[in-house]
Amino acid sequence: MAGPLRFRTPHIEELHTAHSRHAPGFAWVAVPGGTAPADPSKNWGTTNRKRAGNKIGGQTEQQREAITARQQREVDRRIRELNSDNSKDVQIPIPKKEAGGPSTAGGAPARIGKTTNTKKILASGKTFAHYLDDEEAEIARTGRRDGDLDVAAPAQQRPSKTPIARRKIREGSSISNSPAPSISMAPPPAPRALHTSLSTEAMDIDIEEADDEDDPLPPLPTAAEMEALLDAPPLTYNQARSAPPPPGAPPPRKFCETCGYWGRVKCSRCGVMVCSVECKDTHDQFKCLKIYA
Amino acid sequence: MARKPALANSHNETIAHQTLILDNGACTLKTGFASGDEPNPSNCHIIPNCIARSQRDKRTYIGAELYDCADYGELAFRRPVEKGYVVNWEGEKAVWEKTFMGKTARVKCDAHETNLILTEAPHAPAALQRNADEMVFEEFEFASYFRSAAPNLNAYAPSPFPGATALPCGMALETILLVDAGHTATTITPLYHGRPIQQACRRLDIGGKTLSNQLKELISRTFDVHREDWIVSEIKEDVCYVSSSFNSDMERAWKGGLKDPREVDSTVVVDYVLPDYEEIKRGYTRPHETNVSIRNRALGMSNGRKEHVVTIGNERFAVPELLFTPTDIGMQQEGLCGTILQSLESVPKSLWHVFLANIVVVGGTSKLPGFVDRLEAELRSRVDETALVRVACAEDPIKNTWLGGARLAGNPDVLRELVVTRAEYLEHGDLWTRRKFAGKTTR
Repeated sequence: MAGPLRFRTPHIEELHTAHSRHAPGFAWVAVPGGTAPADPSKNWGTTNRKRAGNKIGGQTEQQREAITARQQREVDRRIRELNSDNSKDVQIPIPKKEAGGPSTAGGAPARIGKTTNTKKILASGKTFAHYLDDEEAEIARTGRRDGDLDVAAPAQQRPSKTPIARRKIREGSSISNSPAPSISMAPPPAPRALHTSLSTEAMDIDIEEADDEDDPLPPLPTAAEMEALLDAPPLTYNQARSAPPPPGAPPPRKFCETCGYWGRVKCSRCGVMVCSVECKDTHDQFKCLKIYA
Repeated sequence: MARKPALANSHNETIAHQTLILDNGACTLKTGFASGDEPNPSNCHIIPNCIARSQRDKRTYIGAELYDCADYGELAFRRPVEKGYVVNWEGEKAVWEKTFMGKTARVKCDAHETNLILTEAPHAPAALQRNADEMVFEEFEFASYFRSAAPNLNAYAPSPFPGATALPCGMALETILLVDAGHTATTITPLYHGRPIQQACRRLDIGGKTLSNQLKELISRTFDVHREDWIVSEIKEDVCYVSSSFNSDMERAWKGGLKDPREVDSTVVVDYVLPDYEEIKRGYTRPHETNVSIRNRALGMSNGRKEHVVTIGNERFAVPELLFTPTDIGMQQEGLCGTILQSLESVPKSLWHVFLANIVVVGGTSKLPGFVDRLEAELRSRVDETALVRVACAEDPIKNTWLGGARLAGNPDVLRELVVTRAEYLEHGDLWTRRKFAGKTTR
């Protein structure tokens, strides 16, 4: 079982230094025995990486992390691209004479504003990301958004950006106490129980509660409760984003890179999914990036 | 809403006689004047909200000029609206001026004599709201102005459900759960008497644009259309549909393996003839031919005409599927139904049934065939059986927001309550104006 001629140092252990960086492409790899290649001279403990990569546990935790981080970056980049508004790499100036309007009588460029405010706005080269960052920074600094001046200064123990009003509401009796999706950057979404709770609640109403003398429906919110709900300040852009699927959700579906059918086989070199031999051939010929080797 | 007519009168000002509704969407702006009691959707003009540059005739098209373009090939777009918000006011000003002023204006408008109802995407950063207010009052100098999140106005449009009683102008539907499937994103807004339950508003970052771009990527696997934004979005409108049974459609569109080739289902797989802007002005579909290669068609060897044809199979439904399963492209967000349920979680339980029974769908993306049926079916399978799930698409999903705004403006008392006049803006400043639009202050 022992692969011949490996580094037979008695015991190698990676000591955790203060600055441990997971450089992608380099990590200590535990070489599983038995799969050592025929030519021992080439076995530097790395030659069967490809196969090791496919095996469960063939990679170290760090390697897997590095790879998934890289794939995640790739996915994020792609989503950004899919959601981009403007055509790529094109600067389209506004033609001067076309700009029309009375303000351009003297052939002045379109960005001239009438007041200092509008001058500033028209000349601004900020993108949406800038505005978003500005607002997040403002909230982090002052704890509130620009518009809600009437909201009392937030309590100190509010690390999350959940607006105060929402917390108040949650204490309300008639309101679902399922945790609202955590919108902050915290990755694990709070386990949400809507679907089950919704159905069980309803079951309760229909079957069990029929015997109980409790009123069958949760009480309608009072006018005051409703008013509080409607008066709450709007969520921020990031808070309003749909939360990730719950942990119990089915795993993401994979599709063939070449034809779009179900991805049934993974390319051993780059990790892309393909559906059939035919598509694999196309993939090998034209598309295989070999980056995740 | 017209609770305080006395207050309005005490403030001894009247508003202008005509009201312009401007639904400033990311892809198109929908605009026109409100016309009295029953606004007519034909008064609403749909104008591309972009500046486009053609590589072929080297012309720049602003707004409605794009309709006169003879060749939509290789058009490059600059959109002033980013993620649904007006970010680039330089470009937006050019589009507005082209639309409302000048000789070729589609909707001629004297801002000094006009009230403006302007929509914005929900959850706008305050800095962008301030920019909009300042531009409207200081640059365009509208007489008075009301800025509203676009979904909210839909409460004033007629109910799309059959058998609903028609409400008078300016009266909001009691409860609707509004799904706005737009160009940038899809937003969920529960509206209670026309006011949003803010804590329950959600956004799914998949919109028509995402679908077009994804389709562009997929088609480019066989035929490079990376630079053809306009044509690809036409292809999307012509062939894409929301599948009611994704798995079986997938099987029907599969060519099979090497050993077991299958006949693809010709109801799913189609050929799309791309426009060449000489003879074919707009692409069209036709039944799939298996035996002619792309190259032969391009050389005119199959039937004597040179044409570019792309075969579109599972892309037809796999692309719109992103709305319901964003994880297909690795996006860490729940699909449309999951997002709706997330939104409902923040709503009092007693209102769940009401909202589930009054889901209204608007926005251009909802015109995809099968969208409403799929949404309704999937929602029904995820909530318990006793809940009534009703989903309806507005009669004209693109103009519905405009229509709501126009009906709101049809009632001058309600409108007077909402708008800020230019004098008030100059007197009270921009912060007051923002708070007023957020409903936080009265005169």
